[in-house]
Amino acid sequence: MTKTIRNRRLRYSVVMIAVIALVAVFVVRLVDLQVVQAAELTKAAEQKRSIPVTLYGARGSIVDRNGVALADSVTRYNIVTDPRLVAGYTGTLGGTRLKKISVDQALAAVAAASGGDAAAMRKTIDDDPESNYAYMVKGLDVEHYEAVLALKVPWLYPERQAARTYPTAAATGNLTGFMGTDGAQAGLELAYDKCLAGKNGSETYERGEDGVQLPGSTVTKTRAKDGGTLKTTIDSDLQYMALQDIASAAQEIGAVSATATVTRAKTGEVLAVADYPTVDPNDVDATTDKGAYGSRALTDTYEPGSTIKAAIAAALIDQGKASPTTQATVPYSRSFPWGGRISDAEYHPTENLTLTGILRDSSNVGITELGEALTAQQRYDYMRKFGLFEPQSAITYGGQPGMDYPASPQWDSQTNINSMFGQGISTTALQVASIYQTLANDGVRIPLHFVEGCELPDGKTIDAPEVAGQRVVSSAAATDVVKMLQSVVKGGTLVGMKPISGYNVAAKTGTAEVADGAKGYGADRIISVAGMAPAEDPQYVVTVTFTKPGPGHKFSSSAAPAFRTLMSQVLEKYRVAPSTSEAQLYPSTW
Amino acid sequence: MSTNLALVDPVVAPSRAPRPDRARPDSDRPELVEVAPTRAQRRARPRIAYAVVAVAALGLLLLAQLGISMVLSQGAYTLSSLDGQQTQLARTQQSLSEQLRVLDSPQNLARNAQSLGMIANSTPVYLDPKSGVVYGTPKPADPAEATGNTADQVPNSLLGGVPLAATKGDTAASKENGATADTATTGAAKTPAAGSGAAAPAAPAADAGNTGGASASTGASAKSSVESDANQLQAPTTR
Repeated sequence: MTKTIRNRRLRYSVVMIAVIALVAVFVVRLVDLQVVQAAELTKAAEQKRSIPVTLYGARGSIVDRNGVALADSVTRYNIVTDPRLVAGYTGTLGGTRLKKISVDQALAAVAAASGGDAAAMRKTIDDDPESNYAYMVKGLDVEHYEAVLALKVPWLYPERQAARTYPTAAATGNLTGFMGTDGAQAGLELAYDKCLAGKNGSETYERGEDGVQLPGSTVTKTRAKDGGTLKTTIDSDLQYMALQDIASAAQEIGAVSATATVTRAKTGEVLAVADYPTVDPNDVDATTDKGAYGSRALTDTYEPGSTIKAAIAAALIDQGKASPTTQATVPYSRSFPWGGRISDAEYHPTENLTLTGILRDSSNVGITELGEALTAQQRYDYMRKFGLFEPQSAITYGGQPGMDYPASPQWDSQTNINSMFGQGISTTALQVASIYQTLANDGVRIPLHFVEGCELPDGKTIDAPEVAGQRVVSSAAATDVVKMLQSVVKGGTLVGMKPISGYNVAAKTGTAEVADGAKGYGADRIISVAGMAPAEDPQYVVTVTFTKPGPGHKFSSSAAPAFRTLMSQVLEKYRVAPSTSEAQLYPSTW
Repeated sequence: MSTNLALVDPVVAPSRAPRPDRARPDSDRPELVEVAPTRAQRRARPRIAYAVVAVAALGLLLLAQLGISMVLSQGAYTLSSLDGQQTQLARTQQSLSEQLRVLDSPQNLARNAQSLGMIANSTPVYLDPKSGVVYGTPKPADPAEATGNTADQVPNSLLGGVPLAATKGDTAASKENGATADTATTGAAKTPAAGSGAAAPAAPAADAGNTGGASASTGASAKSSVESDANQLQAPTTR
């Protein structure tokens, strides 16, 4: 009897020990899995089940004043492969019947569908068969991409790529700039990159064996952020017309380059900045001249020549040193005690001209005679207030000249004289436009700008330029100068220009000599016309500039037809009410 | 009732128990005893209904759970297919709006207009709807005096494969021999000019008549245009 009891106890103990040992093993394993290896295992599990997804933040577009896209983001697709997996397979290759398909057959079909090169693809694969990533074709648009996808080649994978398109192409390429493989390369794309750039986000989801997303498994890690929309004041249609005008004129007169600007007088909004030659941002490589990648109107400085005389005249009247009828006796040339000598563009006997007459005939001698009534410092200050010698404060655009000038002029005696007819000082084409905007706007300069601001997706606008107006000369002085400039069109240096039917136009020509870099001036010229219309109440300011025109076109009159065409287009496009009365001119002679 | 009773045979299994009515000779075996539970015992015993309800509820819950997850996963499939559709449609939308923007570009519009024989009129005429004043004198557009040139100077590589949208046969004609196209367009331009000229010539006519200008017009509506003659005349004559 006791033996049975002992046996039973033994049996109990053995079982208990076995159970405890088993539990201990389980516990150890449990701790190992749940605590020790937990992190790694969870990660591994997630990697096995969860699919990471990139959420694309689109780069913002650049739009013109009417909302027309100048630059826009589009999606392109790259086709990539894993060369280690490339092999023949059995499939349909877009057809209906299953068949054996060789690598070359597949590549040929892909090439046909994508417009790529099968031989190049084959070479890429053969070059490095051990790699696990190789591009087959890049930058496919939707149609081609879907055609490739329809082939269902098992070892080809699509890859999304954000790309940029410029619908207005070369018409606005000088301003928009363009994107390269390393991001923004030039123009507004570069200047406002921070606001335009979107930020990609990421999320993960888990999916079942058949690839369907498991409900409720989406985890957004970072939200995608779209870039802002850069709003410009440019009118893309007008800019197209401006470029058409100067491009054909430049070719006709053999100019190396040309610029044109159109500005709204009352607001300082630039409606068009055209540059010839320019770049088509959709096909940057087609433009070999790297100098044409940007906007010469904004970045290139030149000696403006006689267009500056309008500013000198305004300063004289503003200071009470002259009036439109101030009389001067103007010989053909003038010599100075330091041995310098200046002369007018064309020979003429000594004339009795008023200030109006001096502007009309663009007399260098005349303007220096009257201009000397102001000190160099005064003239320098006026020019500065007109926007010269300073960076364009309301324009953010890479490559603009530094314009780091001292507070007082560093002119020698000759430059002091020359500066009055625009030699020895340098400006950009837009700065000249700024002078004429000031005159057209009753003497108040509004910093010229072509960017309104960058509108973020949440509706907030950032990067809006500071465009507060600043009085430069009195309203009377500005009005007087505009009135005098009508004489230029009616009987002066622009007399050859066909009148714009219905409108009184005030304009000034400039024929500047180009420094040849060796402390002197060569035969090259920069010819320009800057003007406004209608003269009674100027609405629009137009400037055109041609650099180094060919033989026979060295005078500003060669720039006149382009100015006229562009001005007519502006007046017609914006439905400007025609002038209602004949221009009232000041007497030019006495 | 039988389930509520327990039949107890202390020694032998009940199945093997001899039936009570079949009297057995060996009387040392005890009689089968019927044990009747007390009321309290009966009451305390679990009722079958509760079990049924509990099990049924559990079953329902499981079924509901199953149903919900079926619906959910069905939803996942729908979602995934709709997602695919959305991607597809977004792609189509993108490619179409891209095409539209290309067609919308000034380069494309200009070259199409030119291929149709259109030119930029150098003498625009305006009508001020507020005052009824007409500015300028209407004239047929003259190709020799067109504003702006016609040769395309502004490259747009996006237009590479975009054909000109012109009426049949017209494109070739206007491209190949501009002369015929030109005469065609000036001819066409003349008709509306003559038609709309009906209003404008009234002005010069009135101008010539000066004193009796109003007599030329009869209707009341025409009268208002006569009233604005003063301005109307001024514009074409002085400008």
